[in-house]
Amino acid sequence: MARASSEGGSLRPVAMLGNPNVGKTTLFNALCGLRQKAANFPGTTQEAHVGAADGLRLVDLPGAYTLGGSSSESEVCRSVIEGRLAPLGMDPAEPETLLVVADATNLLRNLVFVGEVLALGRPTAVAVNLIDMAKRRGVHVDRERLEERLGCPVVLCNARGGECVGEVRAAVSRARVASVLPPAEIGARERWAEEVYADVASARGEANHDSLTDRLDRAFTHPVLGVIWFIAVMTGLFWVIFRLAAYPMDWIDAVFTHLGGLVESAMPAGVLRDLLANGVIAGVGATVVFVPQIFLLFLLISLLEGTGYLARAAFVVDRLLRPFGLSGHAFVPLLSSHACALPGIMAARAVPDRRDRLATILAAPFMSCTARIPVYVLLTTLLFPESPAMQAVAFTSCYVIGVVAGLLSALVARRTILRGRSRPMALELPSYRVPDVRTALMTAWDRGLVFLRKAGTLILGFSVVLWWLGSYPLVDPPAEAVALRTQGELNADEGEVAALLEEADRLEASHAAEHSFLGQIGSFVQPVFAPLGYDRQLTVGVLASFAAREVFVSTMAVQVVGRDDTGDEGVFEALASAERDNGRPIFDRATSWSLLVYYVLAMQCIPTLVVTAREAGGAKWAFLQLAWMSGLAYVCAMVVYQVMR
Amino acid sequence: MRTAVPPAKPHACPRVVPLTQLPRGCCGVVAESAFDADDAEQLRCMGLRPSAEIRVCRMGEPCIVALRDGCGLGCRIGLSRKLAERLMVATAG
Repeated sequence: MARASSEGGSLRPVAMLGNPNVGKTTLFNALCGLRQKAANFPGTTQEAHVGAADGLRLVDLPGAYTLGGSSSESEVCRSVIEGRLAPLGMDPAEPETLLVVADATNLLRNLVFVGEVLALGRPTAVAVNLIDMAKRRGVHVDRERLEERLGCPVVLCNARGGECVGEVRAAVSRARVASVLPPAEIGARERWAEEVYADVASARGEANHDSLTDRLDRAFTHPVLGVIWFIAVMTGLFWVIFRLAAYPMDWIDAVFTHLGGLVESAMPAGVLRDLLANGVIAGVGATVVFVPQIFLLFLLISLLEGTGYLARAAFVVDRLLRPFGLSGHAFVPLLSSHACALPGIMAARAVPDRRDRLATILAAPFMSCTARIPVYVLLTTLLFPESPAMQAVAFTSCYVIGVVAGLLSALVARRTILRGRSRPMALELPSYRVPDVRTALMTAWDRGLVFLRKAGTLILGFSVVLWWLGSYPLVDPPAEAVALRTQGELNADEGEVAALLEEADRLEASHAAEHSFLGQIGSFVQPVFAPLGYDRQLTVGVLASFAAREVFVSTMAVQVVGRDDTGDEGVFEALASAERDNGRPIFDRATSWSLLVYYVLAMQCIPTLVVTAREAGGAKWAFLQLAWMSGLAYVCAMVVYQVMR
Repeated sequence: MRTAVPPAKPHACPRVVPLTQLPRGCCGVVAESAFDADDAEQLRCMGLRPSAEIRVCRMGEPCIVALRDGCGLGCRIGLSRKLAERLMVATAG
């Protein structure tokens, strides 16, 4: 949208409107290609795509069934048309033209919406999409007659094929106010739509009942079969995500490791090198590495949505979630949160009821995201070093505990601060189709960019601050380390020298960590975490990972071993045998279980809090989430430690 | 121009009943509803307006109905049982 921003003054503003599932975004993509971006509407949870195409500046508004409704989609559409609202980065102004996209396979209902837009008395053009599907089902739409009846340009198109782009642009350029405005009153407008429909649409032959769709619907929403289908589809989805994403994740990790190495070898030792290598590159790299999972998750969800299956799955999940005060709409947000809570919370926009949406947002961060995985791996390995099977059981249990905690938290919220009637589910079930890969790719690309922007701003900032707190003030090396280095200089045996220098490195790193600002804070705060079994070093690990959970592992490695290469098996062994100041093991059994429970439940992710505040509509929800999750984590971890010690 | 396709032969059904009392495959016309304002507005805009023709595709939770226009096209809407119980349908039976 760089073009739209820079040439905004010379481009003709066009707002695209339509019912959900009419192919509006597919048409928008065909018109704009990559010259587009996603943009939020300030003060709302709705998002639009903004793009430029041959003299037009298009805003793809959220799909809505009416302009007059109380839903946030209707409110956004109404506000944009009236010039009271614009996506971020644009000045609010009435769009010159309205482009209504209608579905040829459901034209009667779509005409009611077209009539509502025409009744506004604004220059309008209508694109009747999915015309090929209507033809295949034996229905002919008379374009000329429809144009005559509506009193504005009409084009019949198949947005997915993309061949109609020129005609749609031409129709937009001819947009005009309807010569006779349809009635504004809903009942009269429905009768008007029936008359227009009867005049312009004709069927060839008998209508069939689409028995295949009936059978698929019954299978996918069946109380037992539907759940089996759902589990199979979700297992496949996660398998693909974790299996395929592993390759690009390894590549990204290698690139950032290489970059850090390049900086360390090319720059002289000092603050700047340290900042770039250990603050900027390591911090951003640890976050960017999750982009492939996020991209794949949204690609697959978008493809699944395109098939029409997700709407059916929402009803299956509704039965499972309803006892916890959540609706079936919460399923995609909760599913997405297993990759990362940020896109999961953003996906909660699709939950129409406000209370349901807030409960979903509060529950989402309990789902075990990928950032928890390094912590789970470390702790389950330390707990069951000889038993991979038990490691797997403990690992899976973490996911189950997260889901149960999220659902129970939603229930508590719905019974207290979000008390009220749950809105029963009513959902349009779109036709089963082959999904549009282009639209799915663009959705995944958008989400990946949103995440990358966050990594480049917020997470980068926090990484630098944490690096500074963990690295300063600089302190002289401890006397033991100096003595070891002196011994090393006098020793002739290469193997012994290496061992002495390694021990000296470890002592220096541990000493520096202890005396850093973060270490000092750790010593100060440690009494708070003492009932959970955490010593000073573990407290530093917990505090350092407040912004991002995965930092815990590298922080512990730096403190205990003197380097953060957690892929090295020697580091795991060193962590397993690491001792506290009083000589007891740091990771004893009770403490390890306590830590595991703490990391399953605790809100250790500042970007999640930022997104919660934005999506829930206020910082109070972020504070509530922080207090509830951290409080619950603290109490549960304390109980576990006190019982097991 | 021919616009109307004869509706499929309905099963033997009562005259005006809640949607939940119709068997699968039964056709009818939306008669009235006892929804609150938000639900009524949402369902009406989705196409479940008075006099809309429907066919029951699945009964239970969810209840799935196909909305049919004069040419036999339309859409499918899934409804929770709570909503289906309050949607009254007139049938030819």
